[in-house]
Amino acid sequence: MLWVDKYRPKTLDKVLVHQDIAQNLKKLVTEQDCPHLLFYGPPGSGKKTLIMALLRQIFGASADKVKVENKNWKVDAGSRTIDVELTTLSSTHHVELSPSDAGFQDRYVVQEIIKEMAKNRPIDSKGKKGFKVLVLNEVDKLSREAQHSLRRTMEKYSASCRLILCCNSSSKVTEAVRSRCLNMRINAPTEGEIIKVLEFIGKKESLQLPPGFAERIAHQSNRSLRRAILSFETCRVQQYPFTSNQAIPPMDWEEYISEIASTIFKEQSPKRLYEVRGKLYELLVNCIPPEIILKRLLYELMKKLDSELKHEIAHWAAYYEHRLRLGQKAIFHLEAFVAKFMSIYKGFLIETFG
Amino acid sequence: MWFEERLQNSDNSCGNVILISGQAGVGKSATIYAIACHLGVEVQEWRTPTPTIWQEHLHNSNSGIQYMSKLEEFENFVERTSKYGLISSSITRVSPSPIILLIDDLPVVNGKVSYGRLHKCLHLLLQSVRLPTAILINDCGRSESPEHRSRYWEELQLSLQDAGACKVAFNPITVNSIKRVLSKICRSERCELSLEQIDVLAKASGGDIRHAITSLQYFCLKPDPMHSLSDPVLQENGSIHLDDEVSLPFGKDATLSLFHALGKFLHNKRETGNLVTSDRGAILLKEKFARSPLKMDAPELVLSQAHGQASLVADFLHENVLDFVNEEAIEDAGVIGTYLSDTDLLLAPRVGTLSRSFEADNVLQSAAASVAVRGVLFGNTCPVSSRWHAIRRPALWQIDQSLWHNKCRMLNQRRDARISLCLSDLSVLATELKPVLNWLGHRVHDVKPHEVLNKANFAEDEYHGLRLDDKDDKIDDDDDEIEDW
Repeated sequence: MLWVDKYRPKTLDKVLVHQDIAQNLKKLVTEQDCPHLLFYGPPGSGKKTLIMALLRQIFGASADKVKVENKNWKVDAGSRTIDVELTTLSSTHHVELSPSDAGFQDRYVVQEIIKEMAKNRPIDSKGKKGFKVLVLNEVDKLSREAQHSLRRTMEKYSASCRLILCCNSSSKVTEAVRSRCLNMRINAPTEGEIIKVLEFIGKKESLQLPPGFAERIAHQSNRSLRRAILSFETCRVQQYPFTSNQAIPPMDWEEYISEIASTIFKEQSPKRLYEVRGKLYELLVNCIPPEIILKRLLYELMKKLDSELKHEIAHWAAYYEHRLRLGQKAIFHLEAFVAKFMSIYKGFLIETFG
Repeated sequence: MWFEERLQNSDNSCGNVILISGQAGVGKSATIYAIACHLGVEVQEWRTPTPTIWQEHLHNSNSGIQYMSKLEEFENFVERTSKYGLISSSITRVSPSPIILLIDDLPVVNGKVSYGRLHKCLHLLLQSVRLPTAILINDCGRSESPEHRSRYWEELQLSLQDAGACKVAFNPITVNSIKRVLSKICRSERCELSLEQIDVLAKASGGDIRHAITSLQYFCLKPDPMHSLSDPVLQENGSIHLDDEVSLPFGKDATLSLFHALGKFLHNKRETGNLVTSDRGAILLKEKFARSPLKMDAPELVLSQAHGQASLVADFLHENVLDFVNEEAIEDAGVIGTYLSDTDLLLAPRVGTLSRSFEADNVLQSAAASVAVRGVLFGNTCPVSSRWHAIRRPALWQIDQSLWHNKCRMLNQRRDARISLCLSDLSVLATELKPVLNWLGHRVHDVKPHEVLNKANFAEDEYHGLRLDDKDDKIDDDDDEIEDW
């Protein structure tokens, strides 16, 4: 088992970061009811952990008994029926799924599941009708139509189910949905907090941490706790006892992108551009999201760039990132950015060095 | 003759099918009828059902009549014939003469499933049919449509041949033989046409004899009232008409293959020498934006001749354009990149518009294609001097396929792996967990990052290699056409 799972806090009391939020959540659900919730924050900040702990707080230990299913839904949409297949994670009290996996059919999924859940409501021991919880991941990736249908169903079935939504950026969730939920902003943990967690894990695993080592991991993790713990574990596999100047292995795709960046700096020509295209394809094939590629590439390029150009390059990166999200074929935009960078950079080189 | 043989010993059960393929209008069905007439047998055709219009379907579905697709009817027909032999559905009398079964106009299939059904159906027919049967297949120009449909037909032909059907391919009819036929008709109809006129007619028909004859008839019809007037005028009129091929009312539109058109765009030939000076009083352009005039028709016209779909054209241009840009001119590549990115933006499905209007879509499509092509033409300021180039098939398609496949695999992994993987979404999985898992898997080995990536790809390539090979072959055939337009 990975350390990320092993040391995931199971209850709200044991949470190490965001203790204040955890306590508030606990107070919120002591009356056995809660509003709809929207958790948002950067990746690796502990949203999912809080949600799991919260479910456990509401339903007790039975919320931990989950089964993974691949469910098929037959959705009746006017003239035809649509088959949708999705992986769900469910216990007797809750269902968790990422509707955006269904692509453009996401809105049917949202409606259908909530309807189904509303049909068979659990009855608790006192004979009172209870509610079920539906956890939806990646709400910000839902299409606009899906979000609208979500809004309607939220109101219609509010008696029988609660929604917990989870996403990275709340600005991509419509106002209507946001205002119907209690919004919980989960910050990225500070480096200090990450260090605390790493030290906690180190103690549990009875490892000797050289001074400054945890700081370095925390610094490289980009304030993502998951990232920090994962690289901590890889370090452990790589070399133990730790030395204080041990290299922390970077992610392979990040290294690959920095390679791309150095290719770009070396020579600016169509042939090189074609080479870069091949490398970008390789990253895309391995399911690295194009937005992340662009972000990382910009970061790598900025490192070595003359400060005169930084502003302009950042502008173009933003421009193509926007188009990337609107468009369909990511490679067109990624490549356009690289070509733009090359042409600007070459112009700059000629101007300064003649 | 094959038919004769088959008619005589009609009891042997297999190999009763002949497959006839050829372009439109080379006389496939005419041949069958001629043979039948010659042998004195009757031709029994599978009557294709009248197509149902959508409104009609709506109306019918209220009154309880079931909609049957053409494919379904064909299936029924085959089932019937295989069970009962041929009992002509409407006629009850026993025909005295032997029968040839003729299947023209196979149902059009779209997609894998219906293709499979058709395939099965034809095989059943092949095995069970007792009568000599002819199946006509219309093969359209292969290079023009790289879509799947034409590939289906080829596959179908091959598999039928394997199953024991004889195949006869009809070549397009040469211009000379069309001319001969036309002049024979002229003689028998006693209308006078000059040799050049017949020549032009024959050329315009593009190997399609039915078309040529129809045109001839039309052409003879038109000048009839003027016939009594002065002949020279007619002659003059005629020759004016015939001068310009495009103005022929009966000529087929000259079509270009997609690759030809792409070659034109990529090579980007322009007039050299006398640079444009705006003698038409056009708006003066800055030096930077001025380009010498193109040595071809307007790009939109070329596109429409090549029947290029916007996204297809964009993919091809994107894949190949860098080969044609001058080594020094990275700025050009930048400009082209921007235009292609614009194209993709135009082609992206609109979000939030539930009721799509197809007209708007059409405009959008053509605008996008035009932006892509003109962007490429405009951006490439100093194209590489023309030389031999192979046009590659867009790698994007393969990438998309394997991306999809990888995604599925990852989702499956997520399902049967531990809980934490179940919870996290795909991007996290790809960017954070997978590299670490790789690390933990490989332990001490210091594996270089892109080796890991390559390894992941390797299985992919094998998987797709099978299916892509035949496609590549096809494209290679076309490469030699692109040499230098």
